[in-house]
Amino acid sequence: MFKQVIFYSALLLLWHFLFSIKIWPAYLFPSPLKVLKAIIEGFRSHIFIIAILVSLRRALIGFGISILCGAVFGILMKKFKIIDDTFGKLVMGIQALPSISWFPLAILWFGLTETTIIFIAVMGSLFSITMSVYSGLKHIPKIYIQTARNMGARRMKMLWWVLIPAAAPSLIVGLKQGWSFAWRSLVAGELLFVSLGLGYLLMMGRELNDMSQIIAAIFIIILISVAVDRFVFGIMEARLKKRWGLEGAEAL
Amino acid sequence: MSLLSINIDSKVYSGSKNTLKVLEDIHLEIGEGELVCIAGPSGCGKTTFLNILAGLDSDYSGRVLYKGAPIIKCSQERMMIFQELGLFPWLNVQNNVEFGLKMKGIPKKKREQIALKYLEMVNLVKFKDYFIHNLSGGMKQRVALARALAMEPQVLLMDEPFASLDAQTRDMLHLELQKIWIATKKTIIFVTHNVREAVCLGDRVLVFSLAPAHVKASFKIDLARPRQIESEGLIEKVRPILTELKFEIERDYE
Repeated sequence: MFKQVIFYSALLLLWHFLFSIKIWPAYLFPSPLKVLKAIIEGFRSHIFIIAILVSLRRALIGFGISILCGAVFGILMKKFKIIDDTFGKLVMGIQALPSISWFPLAILWFGLTETTIIFIAVMGSLFSITMSVYSGLKHIPKIYIQTARNMGARRMKMLWWVLIPAAAPSLIVGLKQGWSFAWRSLVAGELLFVSLGLGYLLMMGRELNDMSQIIAAIFIIILISVAVDRFVFGIMEARLKKRWGLEGAEAL
Repeated sequence: MSLLSINIDSKVYSGSKNTLKVLEDIHLEIGEGELVCIAGPSGCGKTTFLNILAGLDSDYSGRVLYKGAPIIKCSQERMMIFQELGLFPWLNVQNNVEFGLKMKGIPKKKREQIALKYLEMVNLVKFKDYFIHNLSGGMKQRVALARALAMEPQVLLMDEPFASLDAQTRDMLHLELQKIWIATKKTIIFVTHNVREAVCLGDRVLVFSLAPAHVKASFKIDLARPRQIESEGLIEKVRPILTELKFEIERDYE
């Protein structure tokens, strides 16, 4: 913690120093203080709060859809080899595509709507979640399934009480990655049209030539990513490590 | 009528290139409450044999009857304790023991009561909230034993459960297992490659041959219980069995 405080203080000082020697004009390179003011002002006028809520809502909807569909796809791929050989290979191909490439297609399909942006977020996270569900299920040691069968676990009970918890180390990695892809895709999508979210806040900063707002928005986007990572996935991982011991932690 | 009536003509694993016959002509009767040890060279098909008795493997030719009815699928009446145990790392000790009861739909209060009863039997009540990775090898064995007993099965099928333990822990578990066996009157089929262990535990020791395995010899062990590895008279019983087994192992090297 101490190291971090020193590091960030030094960074702020450097920033302020670079600002004060005036290499770049102030409207392109604002001082830390001005950015702080922009943040405070943004929160006071509710613009930031609204942007955060709008973006988070979209991200959660997109992420939720990805989890549901990813779980179904992953389970089907594990269950039926034919789906793995066909759809599974396709998924790997699609995964290589930056999700923002879907934007033109989504605009033509859904217009400049909420659906378009959520679609982009889904496309960003769906396939990494699918793959993690699939590989998580695939690598469950057979011994867990045999013992569970011997104790009478069948079908849904097997899935819920054995397969999902046994795959948890891989699932958490997939969810974490899926979330960060969804979040990035979402911000990228929001940049492209008037949409109220954090991405739009960045764009508005550009249009108003307001560099301090741009930097303020960047801070907020980073802050939210870090907060979710630490408080949602971080807690899940810590719980997992405590239960599984080192063996499970290595998978992370 | 015996509890298990085993007539396996053959069990073959067929791979893509070659087939491997692992069991051949095994004809056995196992009575209720018996503790039968099966000793054989590694890789002789002992695990396959137990899988068939458990009902986890039904792809063989022959007939295996449990209480007069053919075994077609696994049942909670015959609990297997695997060599790797298969304890669930996401559950604590007590929840591991309760797992099968939960699958049966037994209410929480009752589950707890049963789990604690068997954890008591294996002296692990103090560790009921521990997660599996925090336990020693011997403790894990006892959790697996308690988990199997909690299902209140008639038959325990144990596949080299103590193979990876140090000698002291193993000695202790030998005593505990005999104590539990005397108290619960379960039928136990215990597979091991360790002849001393087999003699120490079994009423009967069956020597399996190299694959394809059949019952090469059968020895009755009528020493007083509880026995320990160093019990009087045990070593005399071990010698002829070891000779049989050695012959098989040497055959393997030829």
